Amino acid sequence: MTPGMLGNLGLGMAVLFSVAGLMAAITAWIARDARYVWVARRAALVAFLGTLTAFGALEWALLTDDFSILYTARNHTSASPTWVKFATLWAALEGSILLWAMLQTFYTWLAGRKMRDYWTSPVALGTLFVIQLFFLVNVLFVINPFTPVPNPPADGPGPNPLLQNHWMMAVHPILMYLGFVGLSVPFAYAVAAMVTRRYQTWVAETKWWLIFAWGFLTAAIFAGGWWSYEVLGWGGYWAWDPVENASFIPWLLATAFVHTAMVQERRGLFRSWNFALVTLAFAATVFGTFLTRSGVIESVHAFAGGPVGPIFLGFLLVILAVGFALLGRVSSEVRDVGTVNLWSREGLLLLGALVFVVMAFVVILGTLFPLLVEAFNGAKVSVGAPFFNQLFVPLGYAMLVLMALGPLLPWRKADPETLRVVVWMTIALVLGTGAGLALGWTLWVSLTVGLFLFNLVALAWLIWNPIARRSRALGSVRAGMSAAGWSRRRYGGYLVHLAVALAALAIAFSQSYRLDVQKTLEIGESWQVAGRTITVHALRAVEEPHRYSVIADVEVSGLGTLHPRLNYYRTSRTPFASPAVAYTLGKDYYLVLQAFDQQNSQWVTLRLVVTPLVLWLWVSAILMIIGTAMILWPSGRRAARPSAAGEVTA
Amino acid sequence: MKRTVWAWVLVLALGIAGAQTVGNEPPPDLSPEVFEIAKKLRCPVCRGESAAESNAGVTEEMRRQIAEMLAEGKTEDEIIQYFVDRYTEWILYEPPKRGLGLVVWLAPVIGLGLFGFGLYSYMKVAARREAAADAVGEEDLARLEAELAQDDGSGGQA
Repeated sequence: MTPGMLGNLGLGMAVLFSVAGLMAAITAWIARDARYVWVARRAALVAFLGTLTAFGALEWALLTDDFSILYTARNHTSASPTWVKFATLWAALEGSILLWAMLQTFYTWLAGRKMRDYWTSPVALGTLFVIQLFFLVNVLFVINPFTPVPNPPADGPGPNPLLQNHWMMAVHPILMYLGFVGLSVPFAYAVAAMVTRRYQTWVAETKWWLIFAWGFLTAAIFAGGWWSYEVLGWGGYWAWDPVENASFIPWLLATAFVHTAMVQERRGLFRSWNFALVTLAFAATVFGTFLTRSGVIESVHAFAGGPVGPIFLGFLLVILAVGFALLGRVSSEVRDVGTVNLWSREGLLLLGALVFVVMAFVVILGTLFPLLVEAFNGAKVSVGAPFFNQLFVPLGYAMLVLMALGPLLPWRKADPETLRVVVWMTIALVLGTGAGLALGWTLWVSLTVGLFLFNLVALAWLIWNPIARRSRALGSVRAGMSAAGWSRRRYGGYLVHLAVALAALAIAFSQSYRLDVQKTLEIGESWQVAGRTITVHALRAVEEPHRYSVIADVEVSGLGTLHPRLNYYRTSRTPFASPAVAYTLGKDYYLVLQAFDQQNSQWVTLRLVVTPLVLWLWVSAILMIIGTAMILWPSGRRAARPSAAGEVTA
Repeated sequence: MKRTVWAWVLVLALGIAGAQTVGNEPPPDLSPEVFEIAKKLRCPVCRGESAAESNAGVTEEMRRQIAEMLAEGKTEDEIIQYFVDRYTEWILYEPPKRGLGLVVWLAPVIGLGLFGFGLYSYMKVAARREAAADAVGEEDLARLEAELAQDDGSGGQA
């Protein structure tokens, strides 16, 4: 047995059992027989084991330096450290789609565990089988990583050096795929709901998966930002690069949907719009893959082109066609009835969703506009970061206002008690903005400070009010403890909102008060800059099996010694700068080794980037993850319910 | 068309010039103002990076030129104009607010209007349906009450 044989065996098994599962689901649907759903669920498990085998086979080839298959021969080198070897599986096109396919089969199996009826379950499972078959057929027949190489090389070129520069590369893609793939479950439920005409309940059934996917997308986007900050050497975390945008669009649409789903769950409104949103969010994940795998754009993520581009474009069009064809029927049948008062929970939720949809529209527009203009007109247009930043400032303010007010207001209409809180919030907003202006900050930064306080007051009241109410009955200590356990999911949501407000603050400051400066220093020379003394102590070289590095030892007064470096890889003529960052609660000091004296080692050229509050962006990411986990964690009561329901149906 | 060809020739020439500075001459010292200006220009050979961010040879050369022109006492506008003359307006990282560039600036406003109108008309229709449902309910109620009253009346007589 070779890795190639094992891999193809696993993939073949996965394809076979996906087809079998799809057949079983169709039979269950036609025969109205839940026993076939059981068969389909078993098939999903075997298909997952098949892809897991293929995944293991490719890891086997990578870790044992087996160059007899196409993927390792093209993307692997025996000189890589072990963790790079392991992560090389998703460093290029074929492997990354294999990983995607594996996660898709895993989710189909997991989601299938809850599917037991013969009515909506066959359609939802069938949809998931079709989606996973698309990926599996691609991996097996179009871009098979296990294709044998006639004359295996002794060693390969290794993965893209940029991807070897940081351990985050091993984490970020998996998080991203977990998020992307996660959106397929709400989409499958939506298709089932539209086919079976059960328009209301699917949102509640799929909410857990939606927030699960949302959490991973959030984590992946922040992880990508941190990778960019730590590796790319320009001192920023977000460049509005087309690929970053491609991951941001599904996040924005999913965020809109998380909020409109609450409106549907609570008031039975917005039903056909929710179908549109979930279709678009899932389609956006495929769109991102199309952008990055088709060679339409160039970036770190753009893998070699090949036939996958048109195939993914076709898949994208099929998803949109299916989604919107079904939606056509829904919109003629669904007649939402109800008054929405704008000054109420649902009114603000819908306005918030509007903000997120417009944000997604702006990102799609700014990403595609240059491509479209060039394709049709031949002209070149730049739509860069300044465009996105300027449009996201007003949209971001709208978001900050709505997210503070939304959780405060009751459903249907506001009560006088909340209006009093809004007065306090407004006072905080005015004071914060005024203080910012008095400190000499720009109007935009001051407004963000004001809106941050606006949110803090709202959240403080939301947390304090129920505790205060209960403490009148129970006594303060017990009330505080019981409130914490009592509505963990609600507090999870508040924590996510707090983290978003904190992130807005970090973004406003880091985007407005960044200092970039470049200087050549002799070894031993000191440089007074940005309130610190920077001294270059030494310049040294280190040789590793897979690379050669030149490292400068630079002392930043009060922050210790940093080691910015230039890494030389065999596959690349130009070196890769690996920056060094001193994180502080206030300003980050970010050093890049730009150049050095190659003959006498007498001087180094350093670029220094000083950016305030970047650390808080990573803190806010961690808070968002904790908040999402609080929402997702099954409480004792909720965990008990499905099994009880299962007993009733059994 | 001819202009774009020349722009590309220039890009290549600058690229080579940039590559030559990689020798053993230290790169020039750059003040924060240089990066502020470079941020407004795009990197001609990359996507999604400004001339301040990219480490491509061309952008290193652009930053050197900006530093030189600043030393000569040129203003920011003059420096940006220098690059626009050489590369066309494509070099501006922010699309100009006229011509084709205006489309991309106006589209979000139109998008907001369209989506906002969609939401508004949805809420209006849903509210009208509720009002209609309520109206029917009141009619029905009135009819029922009338019938009940009749029943009561007849019941009383019987």
